[in-house]
Amino acid sequence: MSFSDQDIAEFKAEARELLDTAEKGLLSLDQGGDFKSAFDSIFRGFHNLKGAAGMMELPKLQAHTHELESLLMKLKTEGAMPAPYISLFLRGVDAARSLLEGQDIAFVYSVGEDDPASAPAPAITHVIVAEAVPAPTRVTASAPAAPASPAIPQAVNDEFVAECGEIVERVAKNLQLLEKGNASKDNVDALYRDVHSLKGSAYLFSYTKLGDLGHGMESSLERVRAGTHKPSAALFDQLYKCLALIEQIVKNIAANIQTADLDEQVPLLAARLLKAAEALESVQETPVTSTAPSTTTAAQANESGEGAASIRVPVSLLDNLMTLMGEMVLVRNQVLQYANRSDDLELLSMSKRLNVVTGEIQGEMMKTRMQPIGNVLTKFNRVVRDLSQELRKNITLNIIGAETELDKSLLEAIKDPLTHIVRNSCDHGIETPEVRREKGKRDVGTISVRSYHEGGQVVVEVSDDGKGLHKEMLLNKAVERGLITPAQAASLGEKEIYNLIFAPGFSTAAAVTNVSGRGVGMDVVRTNIERIGGTVDLTSRPGAGTTIKLKIPLTLAIVPALIVRCGLGKFAVPQVKLEELVRVDQSSADNHIEILHGTPVYRLRGNILPLVDLNRVLKGNGGDSQPDPAKYKDAIVNIAVLNAEQFSFGLIIDEIQDSADIVVKPLTRLMKSLQVYSGATILGDGSVALILDVLGISKVANLKAEKIREVTGDQKAKENIRLLADAQDFLLVKVNATARHALAMAYVNRLEEFKSSEVEYSGNQRLVRYRDSILPLISANQQLGLPDTTVDRATIPVVVIEKAGVLYGIEVDGIVDTLSTQHETRVAFKKQNGIFGNINTADELIVVMDPFEMIETAFPNMARAKFKESNASGKRVLLVEDTAFFRRNIKKVLEERGYEVVTAGDGEEALSLMGPQHPLFDIIVSDIEMPKVNGFQLAASVRSNPHLAGIPMLAVSSRADKGYLEQGARAGFNLYLEKLKPDILLEAVERLLMRNAA
Amino acid sequence: MREQLTTFNVGNDLFGIEVMKIQEVTGELTVIPVPLAPNFVRGLINLRGQIATAMGLRELFGQPAMTSAKPMSVVCKIDGNLVSLAVDAIGDVVEVERANFESAPDTVPAEIRRFIRGIYKMNGQLLSVLDLETLAKELSPTENKQ
Repeated sequence: MSFSDQDIAEFKAEARELLDTAEKGLLSLDQGGDFKSAFDSIFRGFHNLKGAAGMMELPKLQAHTHELESLLMKLKTEGAMPAPYISLFLRGVDAARSLLEGQDIAFVYSVGEDDPASAPAPAITHVIVAEAVPAPTRVTASAPAAPASPAIPQAVNDEFVAECGEIVERVAKNLQLLEKGNASKDNVDALYRDVHSLKGSAYLFSYTKLGDLGHGMESSLERVRAGTHKPSAALFDQLYKCLALIEQIVKNIAANIQTADLDEQVPLLAARLLKAAEALESVQETPVTSTAPSTTTAAQANESGEGAASIRVPVSLLDNLMTLMGEMVLVRNQVLQYANRSDDLELLSMSKRLNVVTGEIQGEMMKTRMQPIGNVLTKFNRVVRDLSQELRKNITLNIIGAETELDKSLLEAIKDPLTHIVRNSCDHGIETPEVRREKGKRDVGTISVRSYHEGGQVVVEVSDDGKGLHKEMLLNKAVERGLITPAQAASLGEKEIYNLIFAPGFSTAAAVTNVSGRGVGMDVVRTNIERIGGTVDLTSRPGAGTTIKLKIPLTLAIVPALIVRCGLGKFAVPQVKLEELVRVDQSSADNHIEILHGTPVYRLRGNILPLVDLNRVLKGNGGDSQPDPAKYKDAIVNIAVLNAEQFSFGLIIDEIQDSADIVVKPLTRLMKSLQVYSGATILGDGSVALILDVLGISKVANLKAEKIREVTGDQKAKENIRLLADAQDFLLVKVNATARHALAMAYVNRLEEFKSSEVEYSGNQRLVRYRDSILPLISANQQLGLPDTTVDRATIPVVVIEKAGVLYGIEVDGIVDTLSTQHETRVAFKKQNGIFGNINTADELIVVMDPFEMIETAFPNMARAKFKESNASGKRVLLVEDTAFFRRNIKKVLEERGYEVVTAGDGEEALSLMGPQHPLFDIIVSDIEMPKVNGFQLAASVRSNPHLAGIPMLAVSSRADKGYLEQGARAGFNLYLEKLKPDILLEAVERLLMRNAA
Repeated sequence: MREQLTTFNVGNDLFGIEVMKIQEVTGELTVIPVPLAPNFVRGLINLRGQIATAMGLRELFGQPAMTSAKPMSVVCKIDGNLVSLAVDAIGDVVEVERANFESAPDTVPAEIRRFIRGIYKMNGQLLSVLDLETLAKELSPTENKQ
């Protein structure tokens, strides 16, 4: 095999370092230095060089260093090194250097070679010695008796433990590769070398049992390495077991615990290992022949620079550098400001350079702490492998995005939570092969771990294709464990039910298994992730699997935040906690802050949002004193809607200043105990801002999660009842007519109010500039053929509608209210532009407008332009829907996209439209609640007909409460959507069609 | 045994801190107040990129706030936290004999006494040595209110 130039350069640099270490040790011995430590460094030098040389296929160097090492081992118990030996070894070092430079050497090793403690790597069978040189004085080596455990300095011991840890990790990784069939020479060699060095160091430190294990592993791999035999499953099992034992022993060594009980297992394991190795099948093909190591490769490498490729630096040093760098950035800003004001051109150009260089340093500094997430993710290979054996399941692990980088400290922090999630997926998620087969899935379950950057955060998704979460079971369990009351259980939404598994003391496993199910777990996962400023999100589809999504900030140190002012101080609110910002004009009539029993509240989209005034919290009377209602009179009030775990609240602040990436600095415990601050930061102008602790503030302000949750629960329940009746939400608007007019809520994107002065004209078209783009205005009065409004208005109420990705504004005379009604919308008898139909309530007739039609009439070209590329043309959709309003609507949306739509009023009609032999349609979009044959029955009969079974089915219903999704999936729907906005529907239809085509 | 102390005045009294424990002595710094914090916490300071907690010794000792000139700051690292102590005026660095050390008399008000490690008897003046560890405890209350 060949090595890249870089490999060779790295090897040579390392080799020189190792020889230097050995030389230094020898010289210190010569000057009467401490034998033990010097011996260790000499040994390590030779030993590691031997391993590395073996890897690089330099047999001469390998043989040479091996001889030196063997010689050295004999001196180990002597406790001293006679002068002639020192000279011999020094010459040996020089010879090794010559070899490294590609020169042949002549060397005589004058001591016998029968020391069992340093049993040579069996692969080394030849020693190349060209000619004899004067022999050094012969020294009799004492019998290699097992030495009494020498006093090993703690630091050295720690290093040994660390090194073993690294080796174990590498071995595990390589074993995995090998098991997956990657028997490349590279891989096997690396594996072999690692167990070999483990053996060497273990013996060196007199951990003989550990050494025996290493030796056993090494021997068992010998024939595999030679390429003559294939590794067997039994061998892998034994190797993994050895590795696990090694890990335990090393752990005990680290903790200074006697390992006697573990040691007892060693001989047994070693014997089994050997047996497994002996039973290996031989490979027919000829072993890979390796190219002879040549002096030319070594010579080539000589050209590359020397020196270490990497060094270890304490994290605290990096932290200090980061701090100083932050300060440097501040100074740079000041210099830039000063230079910009001055006339001195030279100063100006220097400051520009300073700016660039500082920016670069900052960028590089940030990189020093970043590590690829793969360092953690690849460990899961092992976890999944072990678990799948233990649980008798067939599981493969897919890792995508292992190169995604994030801060090292965060990497450490997510390691355990992630491991837990993966274990959970193995245990609870993936079914046994038998069950999977029954369900018609592949025997092999898949767990995918995907990580990627998104919006300045790192997302890690762990998804399995297992059985998914069972909502009823979750609810029962939660009630059983007293986490919620049965009444609450009935009112929980889907998301809330899934979130139950994050509740403390919750465990889903029907039986407590070895792997998981002890009730500690997901709550800890969530706490840990939230502690580092991340979030956990769970989605699940019964029968299809569960996905857990972690969002983690890129680094602990830097957090995106909103800077707000309150009183005289500036405060930072972490963006992860921020849901939205609301600006309330108290002088305006419609929506403003109201005082409810002495506390301010705000109606946010119909729900009551409790408000907390930051000024009052910071004055220390956040909880109970009466607010001053006058304060909110006729003023603009800024509300930051914050998310405190289970609920939201609004924080009233004086001013919103800026958003910034802030560097979090810790606070003393005294300040933390105030509850409202989580840290402090230094802003760009050098001033200090306190970081608000959102959860703490909610506690200080007496907001309780339970209380709020009950309220939302009740609302949910009410909503559900309403939804069950297939109700529709309308927005009531005023136009220049006596009858009230309405728009289906599903169309409405936003409600806005523009000043008349903001309206501009492009030709005849009225426009306003809106969110960085232009919003064309359409007058409802005009479209409906009504006279223009007579009211002289300072502001124009506008309903913003999104159609085909473009925003339009429909001007109305006023926005009145929302209406939820069960009355069916009747299609107008006479087709009128912009009118869909009427709602007939007991006491009035409401005109229902069709905003899409209005837009189409006003902009006949634009509305269709966007979808030209759609591949929908020619695809036939069967739309089954009993409500005329939805039927017409959905049909229109689909047709606009280019689909051919056939409608049916119920399931029976739908079935009659489909030929028994051919579906005649590419996709079925169906309501659930229908007369005669409902959606579930329809799906079941479609699926039971082999000719129709393959057709994709999409359920569209206003009823999506618990149980329905599962029932839908069981009946055979591919996807289940709530009655919805057109975009989501189109996307779902397209997706299903595409999936079906594939 | 001799000890070197940096001295400073708070009110009418002379105080000292071991020289080696002091990071720097500076003039007035911009203090950002921390709402809700006890009154001896004057606020936070940006000390070249690190955040220091500013403590007022007068407030800590229950003395009236200083009305006169700008306070000076003595910055030390206590228990891993940077703390800036506001004092009235900075004095000399003095070398004192261990032999002249004794503990503070019981008659000293308890709220001051607990922060004083002991008294050095100097020529014509008594020097109270601040106990930085009790100060540290004041900043890191063991009983977390949460």
